[in-house]
Amino acid sequence: MSPEGNGIAERVRRLAEFLVANDLESLRIEREDEVFEVGRTPEYEHSVPREQKIVPAPVRVEQIAADRVGTFHFSRPVPFVGEILEGDRELGYVEQLGIRNPIRSRGSGRVLAVLQQDGDLVDYGRPLFEVER
Amino acid sequence: MFTKVLVANRGEIAVRVTRACRELGVRSVAIYSQADKDSLHVRDADEAYCVGPGPVPRSYLDIANIVSTALASGCEAVHPGYGFLAENARFAEICSDHGLVFIGPKPAVIAAMGDKAIAKRIMKEAGVATIPGSDILESARAARDAAKKIGYPVLLKATAGGGGKGMRSVERPEDLERAYASATAEAEASFKDGRLYMEKLLVRPRHVEVQVLGDEFSNVLHLGERDCSVQKPSHQKLIEEAPAPDLGQKQRRALHEMAVRACKSVGYTNAGTLEFLVSDDHVYFMEMNTRIQVEHPVTEAVYGVDLVKEQIRIAAGERLGYAQEDLRPRGHAIECRINAENPRNNFAPEAGTLSRVAFGDGAGIRVDTYVASGSLVPPYYDSLLAKIIAWGEDREQAIARMLQALRETKIEGVHTTLGECSDILETPEFREGRYDIGFLPRLLAGTAALRQAQG
Repeated sequence: MSPEGNGIAERVRRLAEFLVANDLESLRIEREDEVFEVGRTPEYEHSVPREQKIVPAPVRVEQIAADRVGTFHFSRPVPFVGEILEGDRELGYVEQLGIRNPIRSRGSGRVLAVLQQDGDLVDYGRPLFEVER
Repeated sequence: MFTKVLVANRGEIAVRVTRACRELGVRSVAIYSQADKDSLHVRDADEAYCVGPGPVPRSYLDIANIVSTALASGCEAVHPGYGFLAENARFAEICSDHGLVFIGPKPAVIAAMGDKAIAKRIMKEAGVATIPGSDILESARAARDAAKKIGYPVLLKATAGGGGKGMRSVERPEDLERAYASATAEAEASFKDGRLYMEKLLVRPRHVEVQVLGDEFSNVLHLGERDCSVQKPSHQKLIEEAPAPDLGQKQRRALHEMAVRACKSVGYTNAGTLEFLVSDDHVYFMEMNTRIQVEHPVTEAVYGVDLVKEQIRIAAGERLGYAQEDLRPRGHAIECRINAENPRNNFAPEAGTLSRVAFGDGAGIRVDTYVASGSLVPPYYDSLLAKIIAWGEDREQAIARMLQALRETKIEGVHTTLGECSDILETPEFREGRYDIGFLPRLLAGTAALRQAQG
């Protein structure tokens, strides 16, 4: 996907989230040469899972893994399944010999799974989170 | 005794250490690289953690990841095996800084023995003979004076040297000046450092080493010697045996006494090996290895002592439970190293999947390995696949048993040193125990010439 296309998908997704969060039926934004229109239809509501409806672009699931060996801890606020990540946020850290090695989201997305618990020993390459990009 | 030990190694030695832990009732924690995830040492251990990708600097040498694994998994001690971090004084120190027992000697002793010049000085002070040599030679004239003192033949060596660069053997005084000029020029070109020093050139020396054990209560014992003179042209050992086949009783006793004296003088603890060169009636200290060695099983076979278990016990603060006179060697043992190497291509290491692996066995045969049919040999590590150890009531029986075990062993998928080991055992030189460190290179040169002549 081109960076440009990616940007549009992202904006559409945010609008869709805004729509759902405010319980609106539809939303239309006009800006110079761009028009964004997002809406929900009753048929969709019942036949398709929510995520697919509001993000029409194909999803990519990425694993975020530990790159140092040590004790894993969540950063605050503690990430949760379903959380929408914006930008590069610190999800947790691997504590190794007193040094915090941050685990970052490396971009936006949605947390699909939290795979470790606070205080777990994690080794190299151990999956920590699954993020939908 | 410890309850949990981290084994900071891979391959056959990791399997070996894990076994010793199990016998002692100690839980073991394996570390592995991503390239080794299906390896036997990982499956054998009670717990296993990945410490990095395949390349050694990012996994088996990643001190922070290894120490962190030991701490987070609740280990009290670390066994380093051989190679990797086994003789790294800094690693030993970091372990102890974090409250982990490093299973080996004290960091200061590792550091001292790791520096050849310091080690030599310490040995000299302890009354152990070292190879006669000179300080740095300022000129050809200084070289001439030094050679007169040391006695011909002599060897000129580059102080910055390595790989034979800047090295010249000189048999006669009239050849010295020219050898000095060419060696210093070559050293200057290779290392930007043309300084040379001189050592006595030993004629057909044998590599004989003495195994020692020291506890934390100043008890030091020796477990006899091993002959490791069957070496590839790269000086890597291929076949070892215990006891040394061609050593007079007086010389043997002198070696053992020197080793114990030297260890006592440095307060040596845990397992160690002093390597000597034996030439004619002379014995010279070469270096000390402050770890368990690859060839330790031949000593175990003749002394009936489990050296790795002793290492762990000593590190846990236990006393050696026996005296020197309790240690009596019995019979003879030989070890062959089965490497994934092509003997016809300068022993170039090979990697790949082993389609079939079957080891010979029978009375007196021990196999230390990490491979089985279907095993993957990654390209990143030492090429040692297995060690076959044969014990016999005498040397002849040990050789016969070894030859039978080698014949029965089948390894498919890579070239190995199996055939080479059999060939060596069949030579009259080996049969009669008359061989020196130049034996295998001469044998290889001979067979290569023969092959060439036959087209």
